[in-house]
Amino acid sequence: MTYLVQTNRLTKVYGGKEVVSEVSMHVKKGEIYGFLGSNGAGKTTIMKLITNLIKPTSGHIEIFGETLTPKSYEVLKRIGTIIEYPIFYEKLTAQEILSLHCEYMGYYDKKEINQVLELVNLSHTEGKSVEDFSLGMKQRLGIARAIITKPELLILDEPINGLDPSGIKEIRDLLKMLCKAYGITIIISSHILGEMERIADTIGVIHNGRLISELSMDEVNLKHIDYIEMVVDDGKKAAFILENKLAIPNFKLVGESCIRIYETKLTQKVISKALIEHDVEIKEISMKTSSLEDYFLKLISGGEVNA
Amino acid sequence: MLNLMRLEMKKYKLGSYIKGAVLANIVIAVTFVAMLFISHAESELVFNNYTEALATIDAIIRAIFIIFAATLISKLIIVEFKSKTINTLFLYPINRKKLIAAKLVIVILFTFVSIIFSNVFVTAVFSVVTDYFVLLPGTLTAAIITQHASAVLMNAIATAGICLIPLYFGMKKYSVPATIISSILIVLVVSSNSGSFSLNDIIVIPITLAIIGVSIAYFSIRNIDKTDLK
Repeated sequence: MTYLVQTNRLTKVYGGKEVVSEVSMHVKKGEIYGFLGSNGAGKTTIMKLITNLIKPTSGHIEIFGETLTPKSYEVLKRIGTIIEYPIFYEKLTAQEILSLHCEYMGYYDKKEINQVLELVNLSHTEGKSVEDFSLGMKQRLGIARAIITKPELLILDEPINGLDPSGIKEIRDLLKMLCKAYGITIIISSHILGEMERIADTIGVIHNGRLISELSMDEVNLKHIDYIEMVVDDGKKAAFILENKLAIPNFKLVGESCIRIYETKLTQKVISKALIEHDVEIKEISMKTSSLEDYFLKLISGGEVNA
Repeated sequence: MLNLMRLEMKKYKLGSYIKGAVLANIVIAVTFVAMLFISHAESELVFNNYTEALATIDAIIRAIFIIFAATLISKLIIVEFKSKTINTLFLYPINRKKLIAAKLVIVILFTFVSIIFSNVFVTAVFSVVTDYFVLLPGTLTAAIITQHASAVLMNAIATAGICLIPLYFGMKKYSVPATIISSILIVLVVSSNSGSFSLNDIIVIPITLAIIGVSIAYFSIRNIDKTDLK
């Protein structure tokens, strides 16, 4: 498998503290890679490392098949970015900013400017300098600037921050379109889990500077059939059977009649058979899948214990 | 490089600085002429001769453009780092050294050209007025002018280097006030004038300062490739 972006034991130390430790992440070509992590987990630092704004203390980064060095400037031509938050020369208008950006990037199709502004719904801002823009508008302009040169890789740090719900949907659709229609690979970070669930193909969870999980969204959905939930007529009796006859250590009685069984190797069939043999009536039995949120929170609290 | 400089000027609309320089020139010329008229009316001479007057004009012009350069350095470099717009700039597929060098060259050229042009302009206004109204004893000879012209040229070259010194103080904490204040302190050293004596006349002083300024610029870009941008 070839990856568009790959890091190998990437570590960054600031003032004796590891803000990124041993991160080995893998981004496939043409996918949307979601970075998930709480504030200060190290998402932005990793993005800055990938774009060469800061240099790794150890480990290395491979991007478009080449190892990144402090002098890798050319590679930046193929990347569109929003890092941290969209930063502009505030006195300029949206048009001027995009026009300057194209010149610096060595991209001369100026017709694109108006098209892109339309795409992000900013075509009405002519003559207005960016310092008068709202956060949402700046965010849209940041996205416009990132995509105008049709880069092969988009790195977007919290791009939906400050957008209203309809704006979020527009941007989500736009990013999915870019990914599908142009084959642009996107690395996106967010702490809004629901959004990540909707947009990402692969999820990398960052916690305290470590990549504690990297799974495709399908795997996340598959892997986390977390527990079997049963509603029975006599909860206490069922609990007794589970513990003593079936030797299941990890279950929980919720209320009088609901039982949740975690981490069992026994199938539903075996469990229900045992219960029925002991005269426990099963009213309902189901597999419960936890959402990305549950998965994320579980990972994070697990990480905390290890740390 | 020229293209990068053009983009910098476009980005910051540096035309307003040229307007500012022109305005400064008019103010200097008017002040000087007014000063001469007043001293003439009071029959108290400010300058004993043309050489002294021209040297003073040059010193004042250099003082003004050292401070001008500090405001340019603030705008082009210090504020870029402070407001993090430098991150945007460093995400372009362009050598960081070139990006910073383009900014420094703008500062150097602007300072040098402004000093030369201002000297020509203010001196011209001054000479015409003094000559017409006979405000100073003696005459303005070609010899005085050639001698002064070479002094102006040397001073302008030295000042183009000296004006980079505030970069060092400004970059310490990305502070605009530090940049401007250090430029004022430098002005006090190189443009001070007690009687007919100035520190700038000891040729070693402006040359040393110019070398310091250029070294500061050099060291500020030498390691820029390896610098982390937080």
